[in-house]
Amino acid sequence: MTRAGVALVVDDSRVNRLVLVRLLSGLGLEVMEAENGAEALELLRATPSAFDVVLLDVLMPELDGYATLEAMKAAEATRHVPVLVVSAVEELDSVVRCIELGATDYLTKPINPRVLQARVSASLSAKHLRDLELEYLEQQRTLTATIERQKTELSRFLSPQISSLISSPEGERLLSGHRRQITVAFCDLRGFTAFAEQADPEEMLGVLGEYHRMIGEAIIDHGGTLEHFAGDGVMVFFNDPVQQDDHVERAVKMAVDMRTQFAVLEAGWRKRGYELGFGVGIAVGYATLGRIGFEGRYDYGAIGNVVILASRLSSQATANQILISQRAAGMVEDLVDVESVGELQIKGLSRPVSASNVLVLR
Amino acid sequence: MSETDAPILDEKVLSNLSSSVDDDRSFVVELIETFLADGPDQLTAIDAARLEDDAEALVRPAHTLKSSSATVGAMRLSATARELETIGRSGALGEGIDEGIARLRLDWRASVDALRAWVAGTGQ
Repeated sequence: MTRAGVALVVDDSRVNRLVLVRLLSGLGLEVMEAENGAEALELLRATPSAFDVVLLDVLMPELDGYATLEAMKAAEATRHVPVLVVSAVEELDSVVRCIELGATDYLTKPINPRVLQARVSASLSAKHLRDLELEYLEQQRTLTATIERQKTELSRFLSPQISSLISSPEGERLLSGHRRQITVAFCDLRGFTAFAEQADPEEMLGVLGEYHRMIGEAIIDHGGTLEHFAGDGVMVFFNDPVQQDDHVERAVKMAVDMRTQFAVLEAGWRKRGYELGFGVGIAVGYATLGRIGFEGRYDYGAIGNVVILASRLSSQATANQILISQRAAGMVEDLVDVESVGELQIKGLSRPVSASNVLVLR
Repeated sequence: MSETDAPILDEKVLSNLSSSVDDDRSFVVELIETFLADGPDQLTAIDAARLEDDAEALVRPAHTLKSSSATVGAMRLSATARELETIGRSGALGEGIDEGIARLRLDWRASVDALRAWVAGTGQ
């Protein structure tokens, strides 16, 4: 038996309608009738989703089969309702025209009940598949919208590179851990602890807000990956997850940019009596990168001596210094003027480290 | 225009129809009654088209009659209606039209008689 559905019989001859209605009812379908194309379109437009198949005569008063088909195919709501053209054997050329206009199939008069059943079943199956497909597409649309919304939310909490990494096809591989040469930059404020002790919490948050905004813009401008904020301390790295051949150069340019912007902020703060300075440490080297943390709270992070070195350089930097490791300095020597600050004893490292202060970009 | 040798009533059509609706004779009778009730409208429309000398207006009633008469097995009437439909489609009502319409009337009457006889004969 045919899957139950609703058929619309469109024929100007009562005799032909009677036969079709009877045969279709026998197939378990609910059947509605129209005497011509205009009536059929009225029914279809009123409730397009109510019909699973249309049996359409060609020659009819008011609106013939061709015009009816054209009108059905022109409207999104009725375009996908299958249409079986019913015609006399000798009118096969008109059938061809109907199929060109978008009819699904045809039946010849007098109607053979078994052929009718086969054609109607096929159309109903096609319609059913089409309905399932629409349902599936709708689910996909909802899912995509949810994912997009989550990505937008996520990108507010994460560095843009990391949020795009998570949604990328190679995300899982990179998150699970990999080794790569990176440039790490640590930035923090000189005098912040003293300032935090004396300032109102609101003042402190105001200053931090201005500072973070400036830092954030510079990080994005230079394509850095923000690892974390901790009060006035900020860790940024380059060349991961997005690969950057010029990662050292980017870090140095970002730091110089920040220092310039900081001078503007500092001038304002000074008027309010705040004494704050800005220091940066930059180092280059291999690190292990990936998901760090525990189930429920992971960060994307970098682990390695390069991180420790950059952090220590940052702590040793005096106000407005950008301390850069010897190796990093060597990689950008054509781009910047530096002055050596000699060898520094770094906590946790056995040997002293040579470092330079970045003066200006050439 | 040639006379058709199709049978006035092809009873096979009616028996096929009957078996396709689980031998529901009352349905077949209803169908025949509907055909007999609606046929005169088509004949009138064909006459009107002839009077107006309107070939295009001949096509639809001739087509409907061709199709519905074939459904009830009135094959000769169907064949004659088809000839008239073809004349209508040619765009001009030529000499054969009056002879064709006269034959259509004869075929109609013969069909009515044959269908009534079928209803009376095989029924009850």
